[in-house]
Amino acid sequence: MTSAIQTDILVKKFRRVDALQGLTLNVPQGAVYALVGPNGAGKTTAIKILMNIIRATSGRAEVLGTDSSQIRGRLLEPIGYVSENQEMPEWMTVDSLLNYLRPFYPTWDTNLEAELIKQFDLPRNRKLRHLSRGMRMKAALASSLAYHPRLIVLDEPFTGLDPLVRDELIQGLLDRAEESTIFVSSHDLAEIETFASHVAYLEEGKLRFAEELTTLANRFRDVELTFDAPPSLPQKTPDNWLQLSTSAAVVRFTDSSFASERTGADIRAVFGEPRNVTFSPMSLRSIFLAMAKSGRNSA
Amino acid sequence: MKQVWNIFRKDARRHWPEIAVSLVALAGFAWLDIRDWSHTDSFAATGFSILIASRFLPGLVDALLPISWMFLIVRVVQSESLVGDRQFWITRPYDWKQLIAAKALFMLVFINLPFFIMDIFLLSRAGFHPAHHLIGLLWMQLMWILFLFLSAAALATVAKNIPQMLLVVLLIALYMIGMVALSQVIPSADAPSGGDSWSALLLIGTALAVIFLQYSRRKVALSRWLIVGFCALMIVMMVATPYRSLVARAYPNGNLPVQLALVPAVTHDSGSHSIYDGRVPISFPVSVSGLPLDSFLQLNGMIVTLTNADGFRWDSGWRGQALSLFPDQKKANIGFDLKQNIFDRLKSAPVTVHLLLAFTLFHSRNQREFTVPSGEFAWPDVGLCFSEGGYWNRVRCRVPLRKPTAVLISSETAASTCPPVRTSTPPKPGVFAHGTVWGDSEPAEMGISPVHEVDIYLSDWDTSDSNATYPGICPGTPLILSTPEMVGRSRLELDFENLSLAEYGIGSGTGRVVIRP
Repeated sequence: MTSAIQTDILVKKFRRVDALQGLTLNVPQGAVYALVGPNGAGKTTAIKILMNIIRATSGRAEVLGTDSSQIRGRLLEPIGYVSENQEMPEWMTVDSLLNYLRPFYPTWDTNLEAELIKQFDLPRNRKLRHLSRGMRMKAALASSLAYHPRLIVLDEPFTGLDPLVRDELIQGLLDRAEESTIFVSSHDLAEIETFASHVAYLEEGKLRFAEELTTLANRFRDVELTFDAPPSLPQKTPDNWLQLSTSAAVVRFTDSSFASERTGADIRAVFGEPRNVTFSPMSLRSIFLAMAKSGRNSA
Repeated sequence: MKQVWNIFRKDARRHWPEIAVSLVALAGFAWLDIRDWSHTDSFAATGFSILIASRFLPGLVDALLPISWMFLIVRVVQSESLVGDRQFWITRPYDWKQLIAAKALFMLVFINLPFFIMDIFLLSRAGFHPAHHLIGLLWMQLMWILFLFLSAAALATVAKNIPQMLLVVLLIALYMIGMVALSQVIPSADAPSGGDSWSALLLIGTALAVIFLQYSRRKVALSRWLIVGFCALMIVMMVATPYRSLVARAYPNGNLPVQLALVPAVTHDSGSHSIYDGRVPISFPVSVSGLPLDSFLQLNGMIVTLTNADGFRWDSGWRGQALSLFPDQKKANIGFDLKQNIFDRLKSAPVTVHLLLAFTLFHSRNQREFTVPSGEFAWPDVGLCFSEGGYWNRVRCRVPLRKPTAVLISSETAASTCPPVRTSTPPKPGVFAHGTVWGDSEPAEMGISPVHEVDIYLSDWDTSDSNATYPGICPGTPLILSTPEMVGRSRLELDFENLSLAEYGIGSGTGRVVIRP
């Protein structure tokens, strides 16, 4: 599968702050790729470099096969971009915004435009400045979907939106998922989990991991071991065991490379034979919390 | 082209209030301009007519119109702001060349076109055929575009919004004040150096570079540094220009066909001197001889150096002048001023005076006779004129686009048909009075109105006390017109030893005067 987005050791420095420290990403075409991480992780910086809004300090990024630093003018025709803090032409009505943008896109689909207006329940004649935040996001999204973009880039699109609007936005995106690659940044993990196919975790400008969501879900397990008597904690445990803790005769940890047989063997090698072993699947939120906490502890 | 039209329509819809304001200001300007040169007053003495008569309203509109244009330019450029990283348009498929074209089209349609139409209307109302002046009219538009609209657009591209733009304007105003202050302390800073042409080219080049850099790459920091660099370069040019060498090169030491000699000063009563704004005017009366009959000289500027016995030296730097010397002229006054404290230091002891006088020599060509008609008349190569009576007895002309490049008007004072002034001495036969009109060589003067007013009057410099009198031009006065043709530039250097400066200070009598012993 060819890449919709490819970055190679992308670095961005703002004076003394290293916003991105060698980001290497590969977003396959057709993926719904979520770039997640806490605030200040560098998600928006990465997206701005991809969209050629800012320049990288070093490294290289390609978007739809083009060097991102060259993306401007007609090269933006197959890309839809929506950001939570985008400055929209507030004086325009929804209708005039769409009318204005229509000639910019040769692939603009007026039927799809009407469909999106209906789907998002957008008031055609209301000025953007008089719309609620959610409505503005929906108008921005409608104006970025109506031309069948091959790549949709969304920067924190769900921030501050009520659940109903979020569902509508996600549905709007999912309806287009077959024809587009979607690259979305968010710290709203619960929402991402419902529709992302891939996920990358960025923290302090560094990529902690990037993989398919199903692989990630299979890889992480909450492990609970029950012993007859409180076990003594070993000096050394496998690197893939995160947040090891004990409570009386119970030992808990997160295995970040879960494989039933190997994990069992590792447990027996470290603790001997426990009385009971439980492997529980983890939510995306739990995985990131475990990652974030172990990252901070190790730091 | 599709984008150009789309963006243009959007901007027109968005900025119609600003467009309306600038059009109203334009209409107001046209109305006031016509009133100004048609010398009509259809109003009774109302508050409104007083506002017009006091020049308050015309002055206000003169300032408001360019401001409204600048504001419109800033607003339309900032519709697609080039500063920042959150504007929605920067992630849309705008073609930057089409975006520039759309903004240029907007300015042409809503600023230049109405301006051009108004100028055609004004020319035609003033009695001139616009078709005969199309090049000049287009030249005016070009000058506005190159020197103001382009600069305003360039500044707008590096400011995010109106408050930022106001800050930029404030900084530029402070810079201009600083430049004026600097030019006051640099001797000869206003000497003809050719620097103005370079400055103009640099201004246009910088503005274009900033606009293209911003639209093609949005390099805000680099663009701002370019502007700062331009401002710094202007300062360096002002400070580092070798004005004296340039003056020496522009006015070589040649053999001018004229002799000037200092005439003894008439001692002022009570030894008092006029002081204007802390400066004392000095006048050296000189006798003039040797000028060929078909020639005349124009004094373009001078540099005065005064040295006293203590070794104290004062240098005036380049002082621009506009004094003409004619063949039949016997005397002239060469004047300058110096600060009161300098004058006080130099007045009590003899000083050595060195004068560097920069002259242009002209030959009078194409002499023809012309008798001033009554009423309004067409003065060939000048404009539409009428003889204005009253105190001045002059001819006032409306001229299209610019003053005539050069016209020399001469008349025998005894032939003046103006009623004699009771206090004046009767004119002597054979004494000629002269007047000159100088204009730019460009197709049009920089300005909003294409109609200019020129006053033509005559001066007789040959009276006993060397002060000019005004023989007057009235209907029936015969004039000799000629076209001055420049022969060359040259300087004349004069030295006067052991001069008492106090004797050459102009006596009190007019203006803001402080009497000092």
